[in-house]
Amino acid sequence: MSATSTSGVAPVRPAIGLTAPRRRRARWVPPMMAAAVVLLIGGLWEGLVYLGLGLPAGQPGLHADHGPLMVLGFLGTLIGLERAVALGSAWAYAAPAAAAAGGLSIVVALPNGVGEALITLGGVVLVAIFVAVHRIQASLHNVVLASGAMCWVVAGALWLAGWDVPRFIPWLVGFLVLTITGERLELSRLAGTSRVRQVLFAAAAGLFAAGLITSIGTEETGVRVAGAGLCALAIWLARYDIARRTIRGRGVTRYMAAALLTGYAWLAVGGVLWVVVGRMSFVDRGTAAQGSAYDAMLHAIFLGFVISMIFAHAPVIVPAVLGRPLPFSRVLYVPLVLLHASLLLRLLGGDAARNRVSWQWGGVLNEIALLLFVALAATAVIRAGRAQGGNRAAAANTRAVSGRGAAR
Amino acid sequence: MTEDTIGPDVGTAAVAEGAGSEEQIAEVYERLHEVIDPEVGVNIVDLGLVYGVRVADRVVSVRMTLTTPGCPLGSYIDDSIRRALDRMPDVDDTDLDLVWDPPWTPEMMTDEAKRQLGWMR
Repeated sequence: MSATSTSGVAPVRPAIGLTAPRRRRARWVPPMMAAAVVLLIGGLWEGLVYLGLGLPAGQPGLHADHGPLMVLGFLGTLIGLERAVALGSAWAYAAPAAAAAGGLSIVVALPNGVGEALITLGGVVLVAIFVAVHRIQASLHNVVLASGAMCWVVAGALWLAGWDVPRFIPWLVGFLVLTITGERLELSRLAGTSRVRQVLFAAAAGLFAAGLITSIGTEETGVRVAGAGLCALAIWLARYDIARRTIRGRGVTRYMAAALLTGYAWLAVGGVLWVVVGRMSFVDRGTAAQGSAYDAMLHAIFLGFVISMIFAHAPVIVPAVLGRPLPFSRVLYVPLVLLHASLLLRLLGGDAARNRVSWQWGGVLNEIALLLFVALAATAVIRAGRAQGGNRAAAANTRAVSGRGAAR
Repeated sequence: MTEDTIGPDVGTAAVAEGAGSEEQIAEVYERLHEVIDPEVGVNIVDLGLVYGVRVADRVVSVRMTLTTPGCPLGSYIDDSIRRALDRMPDVDDTDLDLVWDPPWTPEMMTDEAKRQLGWMR
């Protein structure tokens, strides 16, 4: 296309279309974002208890539910919200609403599996969102995203059935890994069209999914196969992801690429650990060896890979969801560097070297990195909102003045 | 069909009565070049997302697509377009028409975008 060319648009309504994006945001987006922040704080608090900081643990079940609360409660609400805003249908908001309500039910310890059931329902609605998208335009990447949502549903169902968290935690990983990699597969098309690229991705994701399914009956084999799938996905991302090109860009583009590429390295680390260790549900995670392995296997992925992805996409997703700009600033590199450095301290200095103090410092600094990012992002959004309000007022004044001038 | 239009139902109609001048449409395209997909650092025109532009009755209508339905960037791009066109002279409002037919394909990108994204060196 050319900047100087001209064209007319036929006034033809599209055969299939979504509502215009500006009209998609619902009034209940801010309360859901607020609920996600509450869930984040609840999950982080239990993370500190898990690190052995001697804080009040809250209600008894909450400590054990730190993982599902962070993944399905906090991230489930955010991802559901992101997808609901994108689709624009009112019913789609049931996904983040159920995830948020379920997460809050876990926090306040509502009885009889109410929280688990609500969270599972959120996953079902998320699957329905991808079905709706598929009906508009079918694609492999959408199938991968839907598979990620299915992992949410499986994890929720196993949780509801009373399984211990370590036995279904691979499915929590499946939800996030397939959601993120499905998105990356879609974007990889911008770097060139290749059938090989898609086939290799399908093979890697298929291996990972096969491992997840196997893990239900034969945990050790399943975890190792899933780990091999994680490694394959990390290699695919390192080879084909567009971040390899965009790291040469500037500003927010470069920042996003840096966060993505470092996240892929952690995905590979997690995959290798899954292959080597080969299990999650240790008899006694309180022992040093088993506790360290469990901690490293999960947090390499949940913090190193997933949170790095969140840091990468926040400058785009937050404005898309809230409708308020989040201007990029290089200060966002600070929490990103802190996240990765503190994770190195936690896994190498803590888990590998069996040094409890390093492990605790690493874990606390992980949380500080996350909270620092949230604080910086919130500050940037508020400042930009004020500046935008001022500009609007100035523009309105200008229009009013010019309108009076024209009237004369 | 002009060189920057794609698909059977886009851009084939004559510019409507009361439509803006060629200069206005050229300015809209110029401003749309400022709307960057932050993830890839390429503007939406070179990405091949803009299917057509019309200016009529002081309203700019932009017909465009996204790389995939349900793309989370939709609202972000929408806001960015409105900001880019906000101060345009003789324009009161912007109307974004998001369509999925024809579906976007990577081949719709301009050579410049392909070069930036490593298709050619």
